[in-house]
Amino acid sequence: MPGGRFGWRTALRLAWREARSASPRFAFVVLAIAAGVGALTGVRSFSRAFEAALLDQARTMMAGDLLVRSFAAPTAEQEAALAQLEGRGVAIARITETVSMIGAETGEPPVLAAVKAVDPSVYPFYGEVKLEPPAALASALTGEAVVVSEDLLLRVSARVGDSVRLGQAQFRIAAVLRMEPDRLTGSLNVGPRVMISRQGLERAGLLGPASRASRRYLFKLPAAGAGVDEVRRELRAVFPNALVTDFREVHPQLRRGLERATTFLSLVSLLALMIAASGAAMAVRAHIEQRMDTIAILKCLGGRPGQITQIFVLQTLLLGLAGGLLGMPAGLAVQAAFPYFLPQYIPLRPAPAFDPAAALQGLAAGLLTALAFTVPRLALVGGIAPAILFRREMADARRLLRERVRRAGAAWLAGGLTAAGAVLVGAWIAGGGAAQRIRTSLIFVAAFALCLLALRLLAWLLARGLRRLSALLAGTVPAVVRHGIANLFRPGGHAPTVLASLGLGVTFTLSVYLVQHNLLEELARSAPRRLPNVFLINITSDQREGLLDLLRRQEGMEGEPHLIASTRARIRTVNSVPVAELALEGWHRRYRRDQTVVATLEKPPELALVAGAWMSGAGAPAPVCASEEAARILGLKPGSEMEWTAGGVDFRARVACVHRTEGERFGPDFDFVFAPPALAGVPVSYFAGLRMRPEAVAALQRSVWQRYPTITVINAAEVLAIVREVLDQVAQLVRFVAAFAILAGAVVLASSVAGTRVARLREAAILKTLGARRRQVIAVFSVEFLILGAVAGLAGGLLASGFTRLWPVRMLEAPFRFAWEPLLAAAGLTALLAAGVGWAASYRILGHRPLEVLRNE
Amino acid sequence: MAEPIIRVEGLKKSIDTGTHRVEILRGISFEIPEGQFLAIMGPSGSGKSTLLGLLAGLDSPSEGRIFLDGEEITVMSEDALARLRGRKIGFVFQSYHLIPTLTAEENVALPVELAGNGVGARERARELLRQVGLADRLDHYPIQLSGGEQQRVAIARAFIGRPRLLLADEPTGNLDSVTGRQVLELLAELNRTQGTTLVLVTHNMELAARAERRITLWDGRIAEDEGGCPGADSAGGPR
Repeated sequence: MPGGRFGWRTALRLAWREARSASPRFAFVVLAIAAGVGALTGVRSFSRAFEAALLDQARTMMAGDLLVRSFAAPTAEQEAALAQLEGRGVAIARITETVSMIGAETGEPPVLAAVKAVDPSVYPFYGEVKLEPPAALASALTGEAVVVSEDLLLRVSARVGDSVRLGQAQFRIAAVLRMEPDRLTGSLNVGPRVMISRQGLERAGLLGPASRASRRYLFKLPAAGAGVDEVRRELRAVFPNALVTDFREVHPQLRRGLERATTFLSLVSLLALMIAASGAAMAVRAHIEQRMDTIAILKCLGGRPGQITQIFVLQTLLLGLAGGLLGMPAGLAVQAAFPYFLPQYIPLRPAPAFDPAAALQGLAAGLLTALAFTVPRLALVGGIAPAILFRREMADARRLLRERVRRAGAAWLAGGLTAAGAVLVGAWIAGGGAAQRIRTSLIFVAAFALCLLALRLLAWLLARGLRRLSALLAGTVPAVVRHGIANLFRPGGHAPTVLASLGLGVTFTLSVYLVQHNLLEELARSAPRRLPNVFLINITSDQREGLLDLLRRQEGMEGEPHLIASTRARIRTVNSVPVAELALEGWHRRYRRDQTVVATLEKPPELALVAGAWMSGAGAPAPVCASEEAARILGLKPGSEMEWTAGGVDFRARVACVHRTEGERFGPDFDFVFAPPALAGVPVSYFAGLRMRPEAVAALQRSVWQRYPTITVINAAEVLAIVREVLDQVAQLVRFVAAFAILAGAVVLASSVAGTRVARLREAAILKTLGARRRQVIAVFSVEFLILGAVAGLAGGLLASGFTRLWPVRMLEAPFRFAWEPLLAAAGLTALLAAGVGWAASYRILGHRPLEVLRNE
Repeated sequence: MAEPIIRVEGLKKSIDTGTHRVEILRGISFEIPEGQFLAIMGPSGSGKSTLLGLLAGLDSPSEGRIFLDGEEITVMSEDALARLRGRKIGFVFQSYHLIPTLTAEENVALPVELAGNGVGARERARELLRQVGLADRLDHYPIQLSGGEQQRVAIARAFIGRPRLLLADEPTGNLDSVTGRQVLELLAELNRTQGTTLVLVTHNMELAARAERRITLWDGRIAEDEGGCPGADSAGGPR
């Protein structure tokens, strides 16, 4: 009979029938894949919707067509250029942002607030400022009134209509600020918001010559006239040291952040998919093992290994497709949940909508991942000899060494192919250029593989240890416990795979928690006693002596207060070479712009000299000490000469030394430390770093604010609280997506339990026949599930601790503190999860009568 | 003299179980002319089923050569053997070995579909099932059929490819005597009408008596070849 092609319809029919016969086990696999696809689809859909909203509301988010941001006050030339633009019909809104203390007369201590001064007659050009009670900004924001965010009212226990003091002036709270369209594009966004008019800013007297403040200029172009590109070029020329951008760039930092977050969360979703796919591979393998007779029959009937493999590939495709189709609507629910995790100050809340591109990508990733994990293992099919149908009465022949080596080699090859497939899927969903995608994916898959191996080893060790222990305690441990432990090694139960799958989800989720808490706890707890924990900024020259006097009399002060002068200055030449002619690339170009420099005669303890000697203050030109990094980039060494300009004053300096920061410090590193005579004639402000007893900080804030309301007191603990809040929100979002990995692991467990249903039925029947009561049967299986979950949780917890110790904490040079509590909590919760899932997958076992089961054998 | 459909030369088969080595076949040689009805007999463990599996290329010998229709099958690849089985060999097992997830009709049509000759397969399957008396069982799954019915489906499956050689391993072993006789009649009928070479493994004397030739295996060797063709030798070589 002439040969022909094996039809896909026949193969599909066989695949479908075989899959249907194993529907309980495969149903769980489909669910697991759906969890991964749902997470991935939700992440990608939300990201695309967010980016579309960013583009759609670009002008609103900028509140203008163009933006210039500078930390320096405008020069006369710049003011003239702005006036000329206004003459051409370009509308300009000026915004000044700074931080200051604000307090009410309620007795509550003053708080650090983000102050934004606007011209309400023109601001914002796009978007809307929403107030409560509703009012137009121009009518609410007079020279004597402010609008504030709700959290400020809570912090100072004030209400709308109350009076607050900001700087040197009192203001009435006119309304609560509910929506500010350009909050994300602002600067100095620390703490609650206070919005005032420019007239109010004058009254408050917050700005001195060297005060730290951001100046933002918003531009709205006329319908006819110069275009965005032309005006942008002009502004670049007028403001060479400022940020100049337009609405089309739509907050580049936010977009970069969005891309990175999307990549990260997509890879977390891929983790869930890979766990699900490993469950699929386990289920298909178990299915093949149970269908060995069928495969042998097919071979007897002329079926070739390739044809039989085709059937199981189709089965995998069916599983992946079913999971993907189920996961796509789940992705919509995930997408709808994301806005709840966004920080409050991100004004965008895209409505959930079905995104075909993201859904198809999720579906394809689900299919490809399932295939990558399952197909390489189908080599098992080739090893099934048809002769097994004839040799039932013979003991299984021991495989020849050659065959064992071949199988081991095939297993490694299968693993390699799976990893390669996973890398390709990972590279596809990651962001960035081609090389970066592949690198990111390689790292991710390598980490996954290592985790998997480590988890399997850990789980194996723990389970074996339990078994030994159980045998040793044979007389004391109840039989049901020993029986439950023995069940972990049930043939076909795939406990190691289940342990690894569940453990992976625990590892990742717990890692996020441990990293977050280790770093935050370290920041909060271990700042050495000598480091400042309170900072005072915006201190003017005439306030200096009085403030020092106040500080010396303040209770709770540790050590002598010391004020350091600072200003914004710019390098003009280095060894007579104009800085514009120096070869500076990328981030090094910052040395062409204004930067904060300080002046002090006393060497700060954390500075270590690597060249030269500390400054005495004498000599001309006045000495300066450069940081090691600045010296390397600019080619400085002791004796180098520099020309600077600050506040319209030009001055020269000679490099006396090169320093490096050693030990911990709280606050920025300064590249240039001058001897005070160098800044003679330059407008400066002062700042101070103090070490105070934490309980005395509030009293200090009150005292300083009452006498010097324009001086800002920053409590490091408050800053930490803000950092903690942001980290909490980020961590919550990551944990939400990581929960899908745990869900996938739980479903893999259910699949394994379902797959051993027949064996459990038989076992329950025999136990009952031997006299076991219902609760004893329940106890046996419960012990099995609880131990499975506890071992997975403990193994995952140990791995998470190791990961936290090795990577983020080490990279940030923070000491690692091992804690048992999170591990035990993970073990306990995972045990409960496993028990719940296990019983959900096998509750019907108890309902069968023993003879009913045993008769069917 | 026409080429025999099966020629076996010096066949040996042994298995290493880990603790000891089991020699199943210790060197047998014989030929089977085309169209012959041969019964292979012997006590349990004598190597009957192993020999049957080797003749079909389902296993590989430790030593020796097997020729099927002039082609040496002991050097063929797995794919080539599968094609050969699909084209030239039919099987009937003691435990029927139907695919549990396929209907009777689908089980019967499966071999030709695997061979890529699906066109007309269903019609021929229905005809064969009618011939074996199961016209009203086409859509039944194996679990819905009695043992005898399942065996008849298996016979129909074995014949759908019009094989030149049919191998049956204890085809009546799991059946009652009445049903067993019916199954044997079917096999014998098909052997007569289609000229298929029939090789039957059995330890049932009544069944073996129906064959025109009987080879008895003992301890891995041919102990007796009754009604055999000249050339068979229990010591492992042609005379």
